[in-house]
Amino acid sequence: MDLSPIWLTLKLAGISTLLLLLIGLPFAWWLSRGRSFIKIVAEAIITMPLVLPPSVLGFYLLLAFSPQHGLGKWLHDTFDVQLVFSFPGLVLASVIYSMPFMVGPVKSALQQLPVSLAEASYTLGKTEWQTFRYVLLPNIKPSLLTAAVLTFAHTLGEFGVVLMIGGNIPGVTRLASIAVYDSVEKMDYASANNYSLILFSITFILVIAVFIFNKYQAKGPLA
Amino acid sequence: MQSEHYNTGLKKSIFFLLALLFTASLTVNAQNIRVAAAANLQPVMEVLQKDFKQKTGITIDVIIGSSGKLVAQISNGAPFDVFLSADMTFPETLFKNGLAKEKPVVYASGSLIICSTQNIGFENWERLLLSARIKKIAIANPAIAPYGKAAEQSLRDKGILDDAKSKAVYGESISQVNTYITTGVADIGFTTQSLVKELGNKTPLFYMVVDPKTYDPILQGIVILKHGATNPAAEKFYRYILSPAAKSIFKAYGYRVQ
Repeated sequence: MDLSPIWLTLKLAGISTLLLLLIGLPFAWWLSRGRSFIKIVAEAIITMPLVLPPSVLGFYLLLAFSPQHGLGKWLHDTFDVQLVFSFPGLVLASVIYSMPFMVGPVKSALQQLPVSLAEASYTLGKTEWQTFRYVLLPNIKPSLLTAAVLTFAHTLGEFGVVLMIGGNIPGVTRLASIAVYDSVEKMDYASANNYSLILFSITFILVIAVFIFNKYQAKGPLA
Repeated sequence: MQSEHYNTGLKKSIFFLLALLFTASLTVNAQNIRVAAAANLQPVMEVLQKDFKQKTGITIDVIIGSSGKLVAQISNGAPFDVFLSADMTFPETLFKNGLAKEKPVVYASGSLIICSTQNIGFENWERLLLSARIKKIAIANPAIAPYGKAAEQSLRDKGILDDAKSKAVYGESISQVNTYITTGVADIGFTTQSLVKELGNKTPLFYMVVDPKTYDPILQGIVILKHGATNPAAEKFYRYILSPAAKSIFKAYGYRVQ
């Protein structure tokens, strides 16, 4: 049994989660402070992957990254980068695809913090960034962990996008979910079952861990 | 009084609904068949569908997928009546497992082409594939798609399989390879001649027919499935596919027919 699709999947989920922590946290913070039309639209856009079929995202990424025109051509000619059929392309797709899982929980957690907390910090002469980093974030640790674990687990489940833009290259874009699909098509149900069981076990343990952790935190599983 | 009146009304409408459902199910059984067809047949299938409808009045629902996926679905009870495969092995497997009425019969053999949206000169395509110009070569997954297997055989015959593999991207079926070629995300790809015929003048494609001596013939087989065994429409369609009328359509799309 070839375990490389499993490692590749874990690597993709790990990198995507780290990137989403970097991008998603400031973004959630920005969204959590006040309401404006721009924020509503921005939040709607990052929520789209929850409700759109992944094939839609895959289709647009395929068009956007084609080296023959537009953005893809520019990337290709300027940096000699091709995002279709490459691991970085999958990372980019995962970041878009799992964004709501990172931003959603963190934003609601930040909104639930008492306003006086940030205000106290400002009166003590702390900047906005210091306040966010040393006062707000430590106060939403449980939600942060939940968001990170769910983002990781959600990325493990990626399939439609990868099927469209991955190209099924062993060791580069052949993820575990694709390996399951391939094995079924080959009628190699034993391999399909192995990959599926591994995926099921990992995701189940992660989700259970989140639930138990949140129970101790006396919160709902998605709080 | 009122309620009795209402009741007969309700009874009548229920009876009417049941009658409607019954007739609907009858018409589906008599005049509709489901044909599972390998991905390479997508272009030619539309023409065959129209022609068959004109000749018999029977509507066909076509389900396109890679042969491997369709066989997996049929093995797990998919309600398809006829199966047109991209090879002989898959339908033979179905027959062995008691899911097909008879042994498969060859209806056409496919021709492999090498194809691109760029006019890059294919006279010496094996050298072209190794050049720096070509970054990605689209090939159907050889494990599940007969055209992918043929492409690998051809590359091996030319002695460039290992070098080509480092640039290969795999489509889950020939349809996905066609997507990769026509959108230009892959510089070049191995596909079936019917793609060029289908696109006509919509997307200019440049191609060359791969020497048939470099790969085993892609014999494509047809079987009537267990689900369609008692359906006269399925039998009719089976005969039609093996008829001269259908053969000339296959020929026009680049297939070889006996």
